[in-house]
Amino acid sequence: MTDISHWDDEPMDARLRDLAKDYNCPSGMVPRDAMWQAIAPAVRAAQVPDIAPAAATELSPRTARRRRHIAPYAWGAALAAGLVLGIVLEREVLTPHSAVEVAATASRGDTQHVAAVANPSTTVGTATEGTAGIGTTRTDESSSGAASGERGPVPSRRVASADTRSGADRTAGVSASKNPTSDTETGAAAQRLYQLAARQTLVQAEALLTAYRTSDGPQRDQESMQQAGRWARDVLTSTRLLLDSPAANDPQFRALFTDLELVLAQIVQLSGAPLQAGERELIERAMRDRDLLPRLRSAVPAGATSE
Amino acid sequence: MDGMQVDERELIARVRAGDEAAGRTLYDAHVDRVFWLAYRMSGRHELAQDFTQDTFIRAFSKLQDYRGEAAFGSWLHTIAMSVILNGLRKSKRFDQREAVLDEAAMVPSATRHAEPDLKDRLATAIDALPEGCRTVFLLHDVEGYTHEEIGGALEITAGTSKAQLSRARAKLRNSLADFAGEWVHD
Repeated sequence: MTDISHWDDEPMDARLRDLAKDYNCPSGMVPRDAMWQAIAPAVRAAQVPDIAPAAATELSPRTARRRRHIAPYAWGAALAAGLVLGIVLEREVLTPHSAVEVAATASRGDTQHVAAVANPSTTVGTATEGTAGIGTTRTDESSSGAASGERGPVPSRRVASADTRSGADRTAGVSASKNPTSDTETGAAAQRLYQLAARQTLVQAEALLTAYRTSDGPQRDQESMQQAGRWARDVLTSTRLLLDSPAANDPQFRALFTDLELVLAQIVQLSGAPLQAGERELIERAMRDRDLLPRLRSAVPAGATSE
Repeated sequence: MDGMQVDERELIARVRAGDEAAGRTLYDAHVDRVFWLAYRMSGRHELAQDFTQDTFIRAFSKLQDYRGEAAFGSWLHTIAMSVILNGLRKSKRFDQREAVLDEAAMVPSATRHAEPDLKDRLATAIDALPEGCRTVFLLHDVEGYTHEEIGGALEITAGTSKAQLSRARAKLRNSLADFAGEWVHD
C-alpha cells in the first residue's frame, strides 16, 4: 500500500471535489412536466380534502397502478386492525367483570366459587398483556388469603375495583356470580366471540396469502410489499391473540394458527426490502409444506363469516 | 433575497388556498435542485424521478404545517433528504458497487494516468463509503451544502457532519492511494 501520510491533504481534497462533481452528474433535462402530472393530483387532494376522491381519478397511470395494487392490502390491514380491536375490547369488557367477581367473592371467603368463576376465558384474557399465568396465580392468592382471613397481594386494578364497590354492588355481583345461568351465558357469548374472531382472522389470512402468492415477484413493487407487511403484521397480532385464547383449544385450529404464525412472521420480517429469490422461496415452501392455503380454505368455507 | 422570500410566502399562501398554478410555480422554482440531489444520491433516473415526486407530494401535503421559520427551500430539502435516504436504504442501492471496490482494492499499487479510470475509481469509492459519510460528502463537497444545513436535514449536529466529512475524505484518499502521483503533479 502506498504511504499517503506525507501527502498534503488539501490539494488532494480539492481535486477530489472537482472530480466528484461528475459523480452521478444528471444529464439532460429534468422531466418537470412528467413529474408534475403525478404530483398535481396529490396537491389537489391535499389542498381540498373533500374532493380527494375526484382527484384520485386523475392520477397518472403509474400512480394509479400503484394505488390499485395497494388498495386491497390497505383494506385488509384496516379489517385486521378492527378485528384486533374487537378482541381487545372483548377482553377488556369481559375480563374486569370476571375479575371483580373473583375479588369480591374471594373477600367473602367463598373459595369454592372462586375456582368456578376463574374460568379459562378470564385467565387467558390477561395473557396477552404479558401476564400469562399471573391471573391464575393472583386468583389463587386471593383465594388462599381469603381462606386464611387475610388479603393477598391482589393486583392493584382488581383490588381497586373490588374495594371501591359499594356493599350493594358486591351483593349484586356475588348474587350474579352465583347464578349458573348467567355464567353459562357469559361463557357462551365469549366463546361465540372467539369463534367469530378466529374465523375473521382465518379469512384475513387466506386473503393475504392468496394476494401474496398471486402477486408475482417482478410485478411486486416495494410499496405494495410494505403494505402487505403491515397487513401481515396485523393478522399476525390477531393470530397470536387467538393462540392465547380459548379459540385455540381446538387442536385443529391450534395447529393451523401455529403454522400461520410462522409464515406470517416470515412475511413480516422480509417485507421491508425487495425479496431475494431465496427468501421468497422460503416463504412459499413454508406455505406449501404445511398446505396452509387449502387448510385455511377448508377451515373457513366460503360465506362462513357471514353467519 | 428578501423579495424572493416574500414572493415565496405569497406563493405558499396561494397554494394553501388551493391555487394549483401557484403550486406549479413553487414546484418549478425548486424541482431542479431536488431532482439533481436525488439523482446524485441514487445514480438512477427512475429513482430520482420517484424520489422527487414523493418529496413534492409529501411537501404539498404538509404545507399547512410549514410555519416559515426556515426558508422553504431548506424545509423542502429536509423532506427530500428524508425521502431519498429512506428510499435508498430500503432498496439497498448503497451497496451496489461495494464488491467492485473490494476487487479494486486488491489491485497492486501503481500510478495511473488515465483520467476516466480515476473517475470510475472515485465513483466506486464514493459508492462504497458508509452511508453517513457518503451522504455528507455528497451534500457538502458536491452539492455545496453547509454543515449546518446538512445537520438540519439529517438531524445531526454540525460537528458530526464535519467528522463524517473528514472520515469520508480520508477513506477516499486511501481508496485512491495508487493515484498519488497524479495528485502531486497536477
